[in-house]
Amino acid sequence: MDASEVEFLAEKETVKIIPNFSLDKIYLIGGDLGPFNPGLPVDVPVWLALNLKQRQKCRIVPPAWMDVDKLEEMRDLERKEDTFTPVPSPYYMELTKLLLNLVMCLCSASDNIPKADEIRTLVKDIWDTRIAKLRLSADSFISQLEAHAKLDNLTLMEINTIRVFLLDSLNCLYKLRSNQHPGSSKGQFADF
Amino acid sequence: MPCERKPMRYGHSEGHTEVCFDDSGKFIVTCGNDGDVRIWEGLDDDDPKFITVGEKAYSLALKNNKLVTASSNNTVQIHTFPDGDPDGILTRFTTNATHVTFNSSGSRVAAGSSDFMVKVVEVSDSSQQKTLRGHEAPVLSVTFDPKDDFLASASCDGNVVVWNIKEQSQLISWPLLQKTNDVSNAKSLCRLAWQPGTAKFLAVPVESKVQLYERESWDHVSTLSDDLLTQLVNVVAWSPCGQFLAAGSVGGSLNVWDVSSKLCVERQKHEKGFTVCGLAWHPSGSQIAYTDTEGCLGLLDGLRTSTSNSTNTASKQAAVTKPAKDYDALFDDDDDDRVMDEGQSDTNSPVKKPIAGDDDDDDDDFLMPATGRVRSRAILDDENSLDTGSLKLGQEKFGDDGDTGSGVVPAAPLVPLRPAYEGPMPTPPQKAFQPGSTPAHLTHRFMMWNSVGIVRDYNDEQDNAIDVEFHDTAVHHAMHLTNTLGHTMADLSQEAVLLACPGTDELASKLQCLHFSSWDTNKEWMVDLPQGEDVRALCLGQGWAAVATSALMIRVFSIGGVQREIFSLPGNVVCMVAHGEQLLIVYHRAPGFDGEQALGVQLLQFGPRKSQLIHGEPLPLSHRSYLSWLGFTAEGTPCYVDSEGVVRMLNRSVGNTWTPVCNTRETCKSKSDSYWVVGIHENPQQLRCIPCKGSRYPPTLPRPAVAILPFKLPLCQTSTEKGQMEEQYCRSLLFSNHFSFLSSSGYEIDEEAQSQSQKDQQELLMKMFALSCKLEREFRCVELAELMTQKVVTLAIRYASRSRRMALAQRLSEIALEKSNQIQEAEPEEEEEDYSSVRRPSGSGQSEAAQGRHSSRRYQEEEQEEEQREEEEGREMETDEASETKKRVNPFAKEAVSPVKTNLTPITKGGRANPFKVLGSGKPSSASGQPRVTNILDNMTTSRKSFPLSGPAGKQNKNTVLKPLAPRPKTKTQSTLLQMSGTKASNKKTQQNTQLAADRQKQPEAPTPASPADNTENKRPKTGFQFWLEENRKSITADNPDLEETDVIKEAMGRFRTLSAEDRLSWTERAKTGDPADLKKRKRAEGGAEGAETEKGQAEADENSAKKKKSLDPSSKLSAFAFNKN
Repeated sequence: MDASEVEFLAEKETVKIIPNFSLDKIYLIGGDLGPFNPGLPVDVPVWLALNLKQRQKCRIVPPAWMDVDKLEEMRDLERKEDTFTPVPSPYYMELTKLLLNLVMCLCSASDNIPKADEIRTLVKDIWDTRIAKLRLSADSFISQLEAHAKLDNLTLMEINTIRVFLLDSLNCLYKLRSNQHPGSSKGQFADF
Repeated sequence: MPCERKPMRYGHSEGHTEVCFDDSGKFIVTCGNDGDVRIWEGLDDDDPKFITVGEKAYSLALKNNKLVTASSNNTVQIHTFPDGDPDGILTRFTTNATHVTFNSSGSRVAAGSSDFMVKVVEVSDSSQQKTLRGHEAPVLSVTFDPKDDFLASASCDGNVVVWNIKEQSQLISWPLLQKTNDVSNAKSLCRLAWQPGTAKFLAVPVESKVQLYERESWDHVSTLSDDLLTQLVNVVAWSPCGQFLAAGSVGGSLNVWDVSSKLCVERQKHEKGFTVCGLAWHPSGSQIAYTDTEGCLGLLDGLRTSTSNSTNTASKQAAVTKPAKDYDALFDDDDDDRVMDEGQSDTNSPVKKPIAGDDDDDDDDFLMPATGRVRSRAILDDENSLDTGSLKLGQEKFGDDGDTGSGVVPAAPLVPLRPAYEGPMPTPPQKAFQPGSTPAHLTHRFMMWNSVGIVRDYNDEQDNAIDVEFHDTAVHHAMHLTNTLGHTMADLSQEAVLLACPGTDELASKLQCLHFSSWDTNKEWMVDLPQGEDVRALCLGQGWAAVATSALMIRVFSIGGVQREIFSLPGNVVCMVAHGEQLLIVYHRAPGFDGEQALGVQLLQFGPRKSQLIHGEPLPLSHRSYLSWLGFTAEGTPCYVDSEGVVRMLNRSVGNTWTPVCNTRETCKSKSDSYWVVGIHENPQQLRCIPCKGSRYPPTLPRPAVAILPFKLPLCQTSTEKGQMEEQYCRSLLFSNHFSFLSSSGYEIDEEAQSQSQKDQQELLMKMFALSCKLEREFRCVELAELMTQKVVTLAIRYASRSRRMALAQRLSEIALEKSNQIQEAEPEEEEEDYSSVRRPSGSGQSEAAQGRHSSRRYQEEEQEEEQREEEEGREMETDEASETKKRVNPFAKEAVSPVKTNLTPITKGGRANPFKVLGSGKPSSASGQPRVTNILDNMTTSRKSFPLSGPAGKQNKNTVLKPLAPRPKTKTQSTLLQMSGTKASNKKTQQNTQLAADRQKQPEAPTPASPADNTENKRPKTGFQFWLEENRKSITADNPDLEETDVIKEAMGRFRTLSAEDRLSWTERAKTGDPADLKKRKRAEGGAEGAETEKGQAEADENSAKKKKSLDPSSKLSAFAFNKN
């Protein structure tokens, strides 16, 4: 699973849009959408919102958590806590990227998401903090030779970023250990 | 002359501020929440010097070029003035000081603090401190006795205390104030002031008055008050001469009293009504500087405080000069009011009244000129010149009035200073506005937000522009216009944008229409109104535009610019909206009193049938509120919102009354939030509005998002299940009124939605019925049944009989019968219309569909018998349907009797009148009605002559018409019971049987027009109960020899029901096979004779036909419901 696949999954999240066209309910495999009334907010999946936005058919209402004050609060909490704090949305990173990139490339930030740059920085801060925590816990997991660990509040994207590295390195460790006598793994690890 | 109020200017950031003059009067010095002390060389000084004293500055005092400030680091500091160099810390508290003040010589500083202490410090030697302890709450303010003996302080514990400084002891304490726990919570800052010079009086602001206490005796000697000063006095300050006292109040009023005469010589009002929290006299006594809690600084200039005589004359002069000016401003177009008002002031002015002060030294009677009135006018005028937003402020003042009456202060009684008009005061009339616009004084505002789009106005220094944006970009692309004419009003429709500007001295008021949907190249037209006539309100209908002007006229233009109509309005317009061909106008009917607005409403209909639907009736508003939105629902029902957030909608079914459908305030999280309504939809029920946090109007940026609120009628006990269902039912009825209106005015209606809403209503009725049944409210059940359609009544009967309520079932069956009679009477009408293919406007698609099916059936006529049976089944249902449609249509036909329908109404009425007749007087009337029914039905069946089966049936009916009708209700009950008895197999089977039973039941009133009496013959043998009864009658009579015939049957029914399902089925089957005599009579019975399987076959047929007809669903659903309930 790579990042683009996770992003694809994130596109299933719903977001509010204000359409500027009128359309009856549309019936899709994933569920019914609409009806679309011009000027009236309606919940649609992100993929549709992006598509409509690109065609200048709607305005996207940013999710409630995509707000500088709230994100700042979240960032501070994330920095303060040693564990992972609950994130506003399981796809916060992906959604931020998707929505803000669109705003950027359409150069119509004025009517969409205010303070897009700040939001981007804040989300990146949160992300960095969390990834740092993740690395730290992976490090202690390996160095303490634990058999299992439980991490709460991780998002799919975060798991995805660490997975390849962690699994490969654990496999590698396992191989190395199984060749060596038990007990000297500590030194082995240092070599590794 | 009265003083001149200079415009406010920004001084500090929002929050508490204080002000004082320096000794020379050259500088105004202010401190504020931003921690700066600013030194202004005058009000116009745009670059004041500033000294930063801390994070916040709470208070300041200035004397002898020493600036003492109380700052947020809990200290009282000294700075040099005007250089601003720090000169040390005078004293410290454990928390911040709240007020500092110098004594008259400038040698000492007194400071009160939130830690309950008051300290008196020598400026020269800060180690010499005297601490005054005794307050039990934060100190609000301190003031020195000019003779330096005493010190007065006010505290949040509600006491005003006079201290002896030397002895550090309390001399006297008055519990005058309201208790609070903190300075920030205190309603009033209660800044005390000691009269300079003689030091005779200590002025204490108490509530909305200022009380004067005499030195030494410490008696309350007099009270300064003003009728127009209704809010808490925050600060008081003596003029340097000691003759005048200025007070600033929470509501922004500034008053100056002449203390010797106790007359209010000057009244001013803060331009925005913010709380005045700092007040200082210029050393010369000619100016007063004041600051408000928003950080702004203002100045009153030109105060004439030399002698009291001059001020009196001045105020008299004001009396003469003011009125004309004020009236001009207020009623520039309304002469009647002026006359009336002058009359009032005339009656007031001759009245002499002594001042009822409790001291004797000024007993000179004062002939009151019209100043009071004039002033009040001035204030009203002030408020009136602002928009509705600030009108609210005025009303809050009214509200506070009541509060102060019940205040805690027992002190002086109200001293009437002058004879005033004591009746209710007229409310300033609400200004005209465009619904869906924000106030005109905003630089960025919405000129219109409606269901079509948004018109925004940007009006800053650089440019003045209008943006038009459409919700649906398919209507038109967005437009950007430069607003050179200064348009202030706009409306937007699918066809055009209408803009208007008020006239100026040179230019007449203009109306501009951007008719973008025009097919020619000229997309714009403009009209000048006659000189002196201003546009007050405008709106766009479909193909026309209307403008209300200051000349009390409505001018109607076509959308292309042709002047079409002109008529006068009885009062000043408030606002005006249009939808399709309807025009709704709200105007001032009369002056309102006590905060109420007296509005009238007119509803006009243009188009081919011009008429006035509402003739200037009063518009009901909530108490002390004004109109805040007016509009039509998307379906064309007028509705409006008042400032209390109550949404009301026109109820056309109850003689154009207004029904409250929602209170937006109830959904607000906090008191200051509100919802700004932008549109109302009846189908689906949506109240579209913009939530505004802490304001009444949304900002243009960031772009507000529309939210949807549900409607809720304010019925009683909506927390109970009953109340909820009643609310839903009433709401559903109310919100389906538009169907009949639309159809009567020739519009297409959403038939699916209509039938859906009717289905919902019936479902709700059934639920309510079940609930009442459970609660043993049988009378209520019957009431509910009256509202049901015939089909649902049969379900109700079944439900009733199932829950063993025989009496109820019997009554219901009477109702059902009446309903079926009505249907039968109305039916031919329907049929005729079907055949003549003239579609009644309110006719539903069902009848048409039925006709379609009908014709398709003809092709199948020659097919086999099985098929025919199915057809018959179908036909029955169809007619049921048709009849149901009829039934549903009737209630609406009643409200909106359109010319098209008139031919229908007499018959309908006859049908409707019947239920009461029959229920009251019994059978004869219905018996007389019966032949007619059958005749009509005969006609109907002959009109369907292609059907061979119905022929004999019709003939047969003719024979049976004359049979006695008396036992009808009973047999009806029996039949229901019997049907019920037949239904007890699997769940699916039950369903099918239910339908079957329902069909059977419908036979008496439906197409095979068997009269009920005839039906009893037909039915009994078929159902098996008869058989069983014949066999068991003896045993029953043996058990209960004294039973009447009817009781025997009842008993029998009870016993029959106790039989097992199999037994009963076998009886039924026996019945079917066993009585061949009846077979000729009825097709159905014949079908039954073919064996037990036929029933199944019928059920299948039912199922087939059910598939064809969606409209069967409600009944099956309801029947399922009825079964579930048991």
